[in-house]
Amino acid sequence: MPRSRHSKHKTPILCCALALCLFFLKTEAEAHNHYRIVTNAGVTDKKISVNGLRSIFGMRMRTWTDGTKIRVFVLADEHELHQIVSKEKLNVFPYQLRSTWDRLVFSGTGQAPIQVNSSEEMLQKIANTPGAIGYLWSMDIDENVKVLEVE
Amino acid sequence: MKMSRCSRLSNAYRQCRLILPRVAAFFLLMLALTFTHAQQQPALKHSPIDSTQRFIQWLNIADLPNRIADSVESEKKPGFINNAMSFIRNKDFQIHGFLGQAYITTSDNDVFGNSDNGGSFGLTEAGLNASMRPLPQVQLSAQVLSRRAGEGNSGMPRLDYAIFDYRLFSHDANQFGVRIGRLKNPFGFYNETRDVAHTRPSILLPQSIYFDRTRNLGLSSDSIQIYGDLEIFNLGVLSTQFGIGFPIVGDRDTESSLLGVVLPGQLNREVTYIGRGIFETNDKRLRLGISGLWLNTSYDPSRQHHDPLGPGALQFTPVIFSAQYNAERWSLTSEYAIRSFLYNNHFNNPALNGLDFVGESYYIQGEYRFTPKWEGFVRYDALFTDRTDRDGSEWASQLPTRSGLGYTRFAKDITVGLRWNITPAFMLRGEYHHINGTGWLSRLDNDPSKEGHPSQYWDLFAIQASYRF
Repeated sequence: MPRSRHSKHKTPILCCALALCLFFLKTEAEAHNHYRIVTNAGVTDKKISVNGLRSIFGMRMRTWTDGTKIRVFVLADEHELHQIVSKEKLNVFPYQLRSTWDRLVFSGTGQAPIQVNSSEEMLQKIANTPGAIGYLWSMDIDENVKVLEVE
Repeated sequence: MKMSRCSRLSNAYRQCRLILPRVAAFFLLMLALTFTHAQQQPALKHSPIDSTQRFIQWLNIADLPNRIADSVESEKKPGFINNAMSFIRNKDFQIHGFLGQAYITTSDNDVFGNSDNGGSFGLTEAGLNASMRPLPQVQLSAQVLSRRAGEGNSGMPRLDYAIFDYRLFSHDANQFGVRIGRLKNPFGFYNETRDVAHTRPSILLPQSIYFDRTRNLGLSSDSIQIYGDLEIFNLGVLSTQFGIGFPIVGDRDTESSLLGVVLPGQLNREVTYIGRGIFETNDKRLRLGISGLWLNTSYDPSRQHHDPLGPGALQFTPVIFSAQYNAERWSLTSEYAIRSFLYNNHFNNPALNGLDFVGESYYIQGEYRFTPKWEGFVRYDALFTDRTDRDGSEWASQLPTRSGLGYTRFAKDITVGLRWNITPAFMLRGEYHHINGTGWLSRLDNDPSKEGHPSQYWDLFAIQASYRF
């Protein structure tokens, strides 16, 4: 008897604690997952379709709507942000992007994106390269780059 | 009728021989023009101090790997290097390459060298390519390839592709353009990049479809090609390519494959058509393709050497159906090819005159990615030289010298392999084949007059190290 009473008291508290934990975990994960597609400030396009975006990162679409060159920047294949952007935004696995780029480069029908080593480098390259596009954690974004809306 | 077609074709060939050098000259001229333009512009507009500042600014925004930028000291830059660097940046200049070395050992029969006697390091592949975008709609690219593989390929570097690519239309996923130059033949899933180990599923591609014996024939051609990507509703993208050009047939392995022997005369290049369509769903999970080639060549006998063969012509028209499904951990790939050969009656040789047969090949392959670093695959690959005579018995019964050699008309290969991606650039792998039949074995590497007939049942083990950047 005393044992069962004891557990009756404990269950709601445990539940609350668990829910709270989950809540914190979730918000933390969301904050962490918060990223945007960004471009150089000089890019005139303000929004793009998912297919257009996929075509850009697939290195097939080479020019912005005003005719200027698109320059694509990516992080390494195993980088967390690259993996999230590939899977969530582009809906493809990073290994598929890699094999698409390899096919283009080694058949002479396209170029590879330019790989950077860190978010800081990504920010700096996009801010300073005309026509640049890439992705950044929301917290790393500053006024030197422009967010591209994906529809 | 035939004669007039032949003469029309040879006229077209002659014209093309005249045009191609001009195209090449045009390329070089364009390159030179864009380069001098890039050199002159800053010199005209800016004082030396200005241009140094621009260079320092460039150092910060370089698209190039850091080490290149780091090795340059900005203050001491002569104008030429400065301008060259800004040229490289503005024109989106890229360099990539690869290097692979394989070790192959076989129980019987030779693959890429004397592999059945202690193994051989006979397969070496290396390539270097450069590309640039001098204008937003234009891409120029070229690759030099060296391949050392048995008797058929000496390793002599050759121009693999040189392409002028002009994008005519571009909107979202819809793209249309034209390519001119020496182009890789878009054929099946792997043909265009078959020499780059990282892009292949295995050390040896499924030989039933990607013959290494007649590789040069199908690899690239001097041609003009139109291409397009078309968005199909919201399902995916259909990528199509269609080209007209001249195949590259001037090597011994191709000659031995098509004619059975290497003779003093030579194979001529005649107009060839190639086309491929690949539909890819938006998530790239499903890829479906169809490729077709209509290849023409004719034999030019050597008069001085009393060539036993006459001036025959032949037509090779393979069609490939390709399908692939990609999940996060695994991929399933299958390709089916039907290959039609048609020889005319001018070869002066009963074994070739009027020869008309259809070959059939297919493979099914499963790949599994255990971790990003470790991958494995299994494959079953089958080739039938003549689909109406699958065990070669009919062919063997036609001549007494062919008796018991029916197994040279098919090959069934079971393969398992493992790949280790040590870094994104460096890869090691190994694979084991058990093969019944010698249908795709190179005749140059296995000369019956020297080594007797090949063995029907044989095993092949290969390991390969490969680097790319």
